[in-house]
Amino acid sequence: MNSAQFEIQVIASLVAIACAIPGTFLVLRKMAMISDAISHSILPGIVVGFFITQDLNSPWLILLAAFTGVITVALVERIQKTGLVKEDTAIGLVFPALFSIGVIMIAKNANDVHLDVDAVLLGELAFAPFDRLSVGGTDIGPKSLWVIGTILTITIGLLIAFFKELKVSTFDPGLSASLGFSPLIIHYGLMTVSSVTTVGAFDAVGAILVVALMIAPAACAYLLTTDLKKMLGLAVFFGVFSAISGYWVAHWLDASIAGSITTMLGVVFLLIYLFAPSKGLIAVMYRDKQQRIEVSLLTFLLHLKNHSEERERHVNHLNEHINWQKVKSETVLDLALKNNMIVIKKKIVSLTEKGDEFTSQAIDYIITNEDAQIEDMKDDFFLFRG
Amino acid sequence: MDTMKNAHSKDETPASTGVLAVKVDDLTVAYNYKPVLWDIDLEIPEGVLMAIVGPNGAGKSTLIKAILGILKPIAGSVSIYGKPYHKQRSLVAYVPQKGSVDWDFPTTALDVVMMGTYGSLGWIKRPGVKEKKAALEALEKVGMLAFKSRQISQLSGGQQQRIFLARALVQDASIYFMDEPFQGVDATTEIAIINILKELRKAGKTVIVVHHDLQTVPEYFDWVTFLNVKKIATGPVMDIFNDDNLTKTYGINYKVSVQK
Repeated sequence: MNSAQFEIQVIASLVAIACAIPGTFLVLRKMAMISDAISHSILPGIVVGFFITQDLNSPWLILLAAFTGVITVALVERIQKTGLVKEDTAIGLVFPALFSIGVIMIAKNANDVHLDVDAVLLGELAFAPFDRLSVGGTDIGPKSLWVIGTILTITIGLLIAFFKELKVSTFDPGLSASLGFSPLIIHYGLMTVSSVTTVGAFDAVGAILVVALMIAPAACAYLLTTDLKKMLGLAVFFGVFSAISGYWVAHWLDASIAGSITTMLGVVFLLIYLFAPSKGLIAVMYRDKQQRIEVSLLTFLLHLKNHSEERERHVNHLNEHINWQKVKSETVLDLALKNNMIVIKKKIVSLTEKGDEFTSQAIDYIITNEDAQIEDMKDDFFLFRG
Repeated sequence: MDTMKNAHSKDETPASTGVLAVKVDDLTVAYNYKPVLWDIDLEIPEGVLMAIVGPNGAGKSTLIKAILGILKPIAGSVSIYGKPYHKQRSLVAYVPQKGSVDWDFPTTALDVVMMGTYGSLGWIKRPGVKEKKAALEALEKVGMLAFKSRQISQLSGGQQQRIFLARALVQDASIYFMDEPFQGVDATTEIAIINILKELRKAGKTVIVVHHDLQTVPEYFDWVTFLNVKKIATGPVMDIFNDDNLTKTYGINYKVSVQK
C-alpha cells in the first residue's frame, strides 16, 4: 500500500465518520431525504463560492455553500407550511431547482471552472492526494484531509457538547421546548452541521455518496441497537468499514471508488436487514412462526382445560377436535410435552399443574391485558413479547 | 361572552392560598390565521387539581402548549406566578401526549426519565449521579423501577404513560401540565396515576390535566375548565360541573349525572 492509497482511505474514513454523526440524527428525525436535498442544492453555492475564491477547499466556499444547504431546508419548510403540499413534495420541488441552477452555471462557465457534473455527482476521491497543502514549503498532506479533518473535529465537539440537547429535541420536541432547549435552534444547528459536512465531503465523494454515507450506516445501526450512543458508534463503524472495504473493491475491480463504497454500504445494509438479531427479516419471520406455534399451543391447552371428558383428550382424536392437520398437532404436542405442561397416560392427554397454571395465567393476561403478571412468562414465550 | 365571563369571575377567585399559579390574559392562538383559541382569560389558583375538558378540536392541548411557549400566540399573555413563562421554567413540568413521540427511539425507560432533569441542568452540562438518583426515585414512585433498562418500545401503553409521569415528577416542579395522561392506559395504571396526581396536590402542587372522560371529573378533580375555542367556564367542580356548562361546551343537550 503506497502513501496515496493510504491517504485516500484515511480521507474516505474521515468523511464516513463526519457523515455518520449527523446522519444518525437525520434518520431518527425521519429527515433522511433532507440530506439528499442539501447535497444537491449546495451546488450553486459551490459554484458561486468558486467564482469568488477560486479554491474548492477555501473555508469561505464551504461556508457559502453550506449556507445554501440551510436555505434549502428553510425553503422546504416555508413551502410545507403553506399546507398546499407535503414535505416530500416540497423537497422534490426545491432541490432540483437549486441543483439545476448550479448545473447551468457550470455549463455556462465551463472554461473557467475546474468542475464538471460527473465529479459533482460521484466525486474524485482518487485525485484527492494530488491536491496538497504545504506550510512554509513543507508538505503537510492532502488539502481535503485537512478540510474534512477540521469539519469532523468540530462535529465531534458539538456532538459531545450538545448530545443531551440533540437527544431530547429529537425524541420529544415538545418537552425540549418547555425545558428551554429551543427545538428550532437545535434543528438549524443540525442542518448547518449537515450542510457543512456535505460541502466538505462533496469534493472527495460527490453528491450521491454523501447521501449514502449519511443514511445507510445510521439505518444499519438502527436495526442493531436500542441505545443512542451505541447507534452512533455502530454507524461510525459501518461507515468506516464500507469506506475501506469499498476502496479495496474499487482497487480490485479497477472501478470508481465512490461507486464501490456506495455498493459496499448497500451490501452491508442488505446483510443487516436480513440477519439483524431482533429486527432483521429472518428474525421477524422466525418470531412470527414461533408465535403461530405458541398460539396453537395455547389453543390446545385451553381445549384440554375446558374438556374433562376423555374422548375429547384422546391423542388419536385431537386432530378432529381442534380441527388441525396431523403435522401441526404433533408439533404442538411435542412443545407442550417439552415444557412439562401435559402428560399422556394411556393415550389420554391431561394438563399438568404447571400447564394448568400457565393456561389460566395466559388467558387472564389476554382478557385483562395486565402487564405485571406476564413478566415472568415473557422470557419463555414469544407470544407475550411486544 | 362578556357577561359569561363576569358571571363566573367569582368562581375564579383562588380557593385557599390566594396565590395565582397561572394567569392567562386575552390569549388568542391561530393556525394559518384560523383561531383555535379565542380570547382566553384564565386564572388557575395554586394548589388545585384541574381538568380541562372540551370536545375534539376545542384547543385543549393548544392552550397548554401556548402557556408553555411551545406555540406562539397571536395575542395575549401568560404569567406563571406573576412572571413570564421563560423566567419560570424551573417551576413547570410538562407531560405531552403519549402519541406525540416516537417510541421506537433507541433509548431506555431510565434515560427518558433522566430527560426531566435536563431543564435544571441547562445547556451543555450533562446529567450525573444526582440526576440518576432522582430519576430512579421517580421510577420507583410510579412503580416502574423494575423496567428501568427496558427499551421504551418494549413497554405497554400504560407503562409508557407512567414513564412520562416519572419524567415530570423528576422535575420537582410547582405546576404540572399533563396532556391526556389517561389516554390508552388500563384501569390499574389510571388509578395509579390519579393517586400520584392527588399526592402532588396534597403537597401543594398545582396540577392541570387535559381530560376526556367526563364521568370521572367529579371523582378525580376539584377544579375544572370548560373549553371550546373560547373559555366557557372555570371554577370548582362542585359549583360549575353541571349540565348547563356541559351543554354550552359540547353543543348538544348534554346530560351527565353529577354527584355533588
